Amino acid sequence: MSKEVVKEKSMVLQKEMLAGLFKELSQAHETGKKVVYTFVPGNLSELIHAFDMLPVYPEINALQSGMRKNSGAFIREAEKAGHSEDVCTYVKCDIGMMLNGNIGPTGEKLPPPDLLLLSYTGCFTFMKWFENLERYYPGVPVAMLHTPYQEGGKITQEMRDYMVEQLRLEVIPKMEKVSGKKFDERKLAGILENSARAEDLIVKIFDTTKNKPSPIDAYFAGVYYIGPINTGFRGTPEAVIYYETLYEEILERVRLGLGPITPEGEMEEERFRLVVEGPPNWTSFREFWKLFYDMGAVVVASSYTKVGGMYDYGFRHDPARPLESLGEYCMNCYTNLNLPQRIDLLEKCITEYQADGFLVNSIKSCNSFSAGQLLMMRHLEERLGIPVGFIESDLVDPRYFSYSNIKNRLDSFFQMLGQRKVIKGQLEIV
Amino acid sequence: MTGQFYTMGVDVGGSYVKAVLVDYSDHPQIIDKHTEKIRKRNPADVAEELVNFLLQKNGLQYEDIAYLASTGEGEMVTRKKGHFYSMTTHSKGGEFLYPGAKTVVDMGALYVRAIKIGEKARVLDYKMTGQCASGSGQFIENISRYLGLSIEEVGEVSMQSNNPEVPSGICAVLAETDVINMVSRGIATPNIIKGIHLSVSGRIIKLLTALKAESPVMLAGGLAVNKGMVQAISELLKESKYGYEIVTHPDAIYSGAIGAALWGGFRHIKLSKEKHAFA
Repeated sequence: MSKEVVKEKSMVLQKEMLAGLFKELSQAHETGKKVVYTFVPGNLSELIHAFDMLPVYPEINALQSGMRKNSGAFIREAEKAGHSEDVCTYVKCDIGMMLNGNIGPTGEKLPPPDLLLLSYTGCFTFMKWFENLERYYPGVPVAMLHTPYQEGGKITQEMRDYMVEQLRLEVIPKMEKVSGKKFDERKLAGILENSARAEDLIVKIFDTTKNKPSPIDAYFAGVYYIGPINTGFRGTPEAVIYYETLYEEILERVRLGLGPITPEGEMEEERFRLVVEGPPNWTSFREFWKLFYDMGAVVVASSYTKVGGMYDYGFRHDPARPLESLGEYCMNCYTNLNLPQRIDLLEKCITEYQADGFLVNSIKSCNSFSAGQLLMMRHLEERLGIPVGFIESDLVDPRYFSYSNIKNRLDSFFQMLGQRKVIKGQLEIV
Repeated sequence: MTGQFYTMGVDVGGSYVKAVLVDYSDHPQIIDKHTEKIRKRNPADVAEELVNFLLQKNGLQYEDIAYLASTGEGEMVTRKKGHFYSMTTHSKGGEFLYPGAKTVVDMGALYVRAIKIGEKARVLDYKMTGQCASGSGQFIENISRYLGLSIEEVGEVSMQSNNPEVPSGICAVLAETDVINMVSRGIATPNIIKGIHLSVSGRIIKLLTALKAESPVMLAGGLAVNKGMVQAISELLKESKYGYEIVTHPDAIYSGAIGAALWGGFRHIKLSKEKHAFA
């Protein structure tokens, strides 16, 4: 018998925020609000808000459909329409959902886009995705923001200038035309102030995993924590309130020495601390989490929570440099980093959060995440001498989640982690 | 050491349940052993039958066993006193069968796992095949069934090969298609089955190199009793010029069960000492 999930105040707040957004979207036709379809990595939420438009994130819809067990049917629908088995399953889920009447995850109909804002970072599939959407919504304008990949491992002034120029000449004029409103840089700066406040808080929240036991799980619960900041609420006062509330709740857990809350109940004993690379599987999310819970494994840092923006190294949206900081934000997203940067970042996480092991969940249909993961794993193993594990699943295609295979591999990984503790004298041999 | 006593190890695998009866002392001895194919039965029932079989055959009662330990998927073994992780039991059992082994390769129905071990069979590191079934014993069994061979004769047939035909080593489904194609092209069964063994061997050698394995490498688990498999690994190693010393043992299929029985003995002594200390 599954237990009831304990709902904290922040969870209720988040649920209300999302329900409100989907309600607003369902009423967009009546209210006359314009709708922008865009992506999470490198999302320009603040700019969308500056024009009083509403965002739709197809990846979020897909993952929500996955968690609600609807994605399998949508994917099959898209495959019937000619999309190959190897295509990103977020794309196919989104297209399948559209072909089924575009009913969003909350059961309300999503409005068609007034603008397709392609501010992709590190994922070239996004381009193909919106090429498809352009065909489904003929005549809808497309604004493309080409984010330069950090091939050289740093952001140069030329890259900043290139981003600002695209924002000024390509993105903003199209947004002005669609919304019928003039760009107001001061309004944007005000929104960015809220973004920076939320970003300060989210860094503090994910830093609480330095405590032992960690009060939160930075992967399974972390995907909920990044929800508001990644689903169009960054820059809003609601997001700041949400993160203040969440931070207070977590600090209370630290004060009481409590471990993370999970759907199975509170984690009572923290046996292993992990850093995880790659997105989670959404179709069997709870089962997947339980495999970790059963072993007392807590994720203290994950790369996935940095995919919609990375604030660890001090980047904040800056009201004093609005467009430049929007550009920097896009270029700083995790999948826009080169492999050595990603390895360094993961090494820092493993060291600073005192992780016992490193695990990769390689996603079958996500090239932007999966490319290079074996190399990254090997480097981290060599540099740090920690146990590493590799499992495979998918984002929202239930056909690629093999419970037994994942369990077998996780069992071995956890056994190895246990053995290392025996060697270090932290655990008894039997 | 606190005297001599019996322990039993039960290893529940993907295809077989293996059990051993051990006379535990400073120099433990295997008294008896048995394997049973699970087929479509409940593995817990098979394990129970096996325990009863070994007890009866050796004139023992359950109470005579100081410690009954399970491993593998054996958490469901009803009368066990404790369960041990399979990585630790295969290491212990592998090292028992070949003292001085520095790497134990657990070749089972569901996956292959190479384990680097240290002093007292302590697990130092491991590498495991990916999720695809093409790196598993079950894959060989499926192909054998398709070719009309029983799993017991696969090894001998493989050793008759004179011109092996290697299928795709990446994907079990592609490999099965390759095999169907080979049959229709008239490729002789020994050459097909040897090709399959070589394909799996390639994956195992990759594990050894990734692990930076040290010799002697003890092949254990169900696949280790397949002589054709052992031969294929040895040949491929020779061809690829990796200098690993490969060893195995006729009881290699029991490595997990032996390890469980030995760890069971170790734990029994520890618990007895603790009991005395608190008495």
